[in-house]
Amino acid sequence: MNADELISRLSGPLSLRRRVATTVALLGGLLGAAFVGLLWLSEPVLPLRTQLAFGALVLVGLGWAGYGSWVLSRRTPLFALDRVIAGWLALAASGLLAGLTALVALTRGGVHWAAYLMVVVLLMVAAGNLVRARALRGALLRRKRELGG
Amino acid sequence: MSSDELLVVRCRLGERDALAELVRAWHAPVWGYVRRMIGPAEADDVTQEVWLAVVRGLPGLRQPERFTPWLFTIARRAVTNRLRAEYARPEIATDAEPVSPDPADALVDRAELVAGLAALPAREREVLILFHLEDLPLETCALICDVPVGTVKSRLSRARRLLREEMNRKEGRP
Repeated sequence: MNADELISRLSGPLSLRRRVATTVALLGGLLGAAFVGLLWLSEPVLPLRTQLAFGALVLVGLGWAGYGSWVLSRRTPLFALDRVIAGWLALAASGLLAGLTALVALTRGGVHWAAYLMVVVLLMVAAGNLVRARALRGALLRRKRELGG
Repeated sequence: MSSDELLVVRCRLGERDALAELVRAWHAPVWGYVRRMIGPAEADDVTQEVWLAVVRGLPGLRQPERFTPWLFTIARRAVTNRLRAEYARPEIATDAEPVSPDPADALVDRAELVAGLAALPAREREVLILFHLEDLPLETCALICDVPVGTVKSRLSRARRLLREEMNRKEGRP
């Protein structure tokens, strides 16, 4: 096996499509679980079967989020630029969730305080991740210039 | 090695062509080490396994200047997994002899070394490969094998003695 054959064998884990799809699965799962949970919290009285259905939907969303986290942390490398892109996607997803929360609060006259707390925490985590990802990329770009690249 | 450090930094930034360059630069040394340690039959699979671990670990490599020991540590881990029984044997302690940085001063030349490698135990074989065939400094060999420099010297000394005995045996000398 020569180097070029090896490079082609490594193309799977390095595929941009795979990394973006995994990031979307993580964020979609998290966003879906959070939104369903928000709707669940905003309903004062629900029959048991409906509550079970909400619970199952939350679990499905969390399952996708867990799968995405596992793939990104163990199977697929996330380089500096990927982290910045993932950071923006997470911030956008958190912003969307904040918008949906506001919409639900307006139409139903408020939501449970835990929903606001969850949205604020998610926004702060997403913003923090993005700041860290940009700082890391900036540091690597500076190092690259120092090394003459 | 600043060119390697630059390549690693570019890889960490996500530059695909840098990763291809890095693989082209280091594929042969890694493949050579793996093949000499475990034989040709599994060398390709293990080398691919090593590079998958390298690609997955690169975003988290905090010290790009220490890429070489990091790379060979991953390769050694993959080799150790295949040679568990050999590595499990207890090591015989011997006194360290001075190690010359010039392989020409050593008792064997590269061709003899390659020919006799298969007869050596895994620990002695790996230090000979890393020090004489991959031309890595003693300190780097020690980092890769996760032992003190003195232990690497002892293993090199024992490896040379075993190699000398193996050569004598092949040539029919007492």
